[in-house]
Amino acid sequence: MVKNITIFTTTTCAYCPMVKKYLGAKGLSYDEVNLDTNPERQQEALAISGALTVPVTVITKQDDTQEVVVGYNLAKLAPAVA
Amino acid sequence: MSETTDIPKHDVIIIGAGPAALSAAIYTTREDIDTLLFERAVPGGLAAVTDWVDNYPGFPEGIAGLELGTNLQKQAERFGAVIELGEVLKLHDEGKWKRLETTSGDMLAKAVLIATGSDYKKIGVPGEAEYYARGVHYCATCDGAFYRGKRLVVVGGGNSAIQEAMFLTRFASHIDLLVRSTIKASDVLQKDLQKFVDEGKVTVHLGVVTDEIVGEAGAVTKVVGTQDGKKIDFPTDGVFVFVGLKPNSEFLEGSGIELDHIHLIKTDENLQTNMPGVFVAGDIRSGATMQIASAAGEGATAALKIREYLEGHAHPIQN
Repeated sequence: MVKNITIFTTTTCAYCPMVKKYLGAKGLSYDEVNLDTNPERQQEALAISGALTVPVTVITKQDDTQEVVVGYNLAKLAPAVA
Repeated sequence: MSETTDIPKHDVIIIGAGPAALSAAIYTTREDIDTLLFERAVPGGLAAVTDWVDNYPGFPEGIAGLELGTNLQKQAERFGAVIELGEVLKLHDEGKWKRLETTSGDMLAKAVLIATGSDYKKIGVPGEAEYYARGVHYCATCDGAFYRGKRLVVVGGGNSAIQEAMFLTRFASHIDLLVRSTIKASDVLQKDLQKFVDEGKVTVHLGVVTDEIVGEAGAVTKVVGTQDGKKIDFPTDGVFVFVGLKPNSEFLEGSGIELDHIHLIKTDENLQTNMPGVFVAGDIRSGATMQIASAAGEGATAALKIREYLEGHAHPIQN
């Protein structure tokens, strides 16, 4: 079970709305961190994902374990939020 | 011939959801032709990940690529187009029906429109794969924000390279633009680029072959190139690559559909392939001009030709 979801995005990223749309269609709520308006959190996104890219979706489970999905990758995102 | 009883059927399946695909869907759905689109990435295609589009008619001030893609999607969906997120893996001709193997299972269609477009090509040099998404990028609008106040190298000299290099100046302190021969971008873009060159934000290096992307401690530190036979180091924090397009036609291998020498799909004057009932529009078509406006036009044309095909006879083009 999913406890919470955070998505790191930028304003111009075309793949970010796709992740949000997918989660919305599943009825899942999420927190969004826009790195254009919160550039101080870029290092946090990098540390979590190991990648200089967005979207980065961080799924925290009920047992506080985390899964990180880099990019718009339904093959990884779908099971992570199931 | 496979058993088709329980397989989902559609009048038209469109592979892709870029400008050509969505334009076609607007036309087919407005005529109540049952239409399903398959998209493996983002609706709007490469246009949606382009910073700014200045040459699509109807937008005198230009339009953000993401906004254009979203608008096309909304317009197609308004008339009933359904976009399924997934990938078509194989296409088979079974006479009246075309069978598509997809990530959602098999599907049947009376007619198929292939509008899979292209992806950005890789350079194919050492370091490129190793530092992918950790210093080597192919999407400026996605990843540019990580380079605030840093140095960048952009590789390429076409429209995309110039457009995206200019976009990246909003983040980067300086950009070295490495162009293998001469700049091939449109005159308008070259004039726009000159402003950034004059301001010292972009330095253009012509005749540079990119040889290697080098890093230390997991981060890119420089690009090594060759100019006039001499090795040159370009110190940088990241590299954005825009060196042309790679057609998304791999899934047609073994299908019998004829491709040209660069793997674009051959069609006749009706935009139909050598497999009856399978049509092509946009950047994936052999002879395409690789423009968003012409992709949209080809999408509309293909939709009308598909209608004729479904009706089983030639039909005068109507409004």
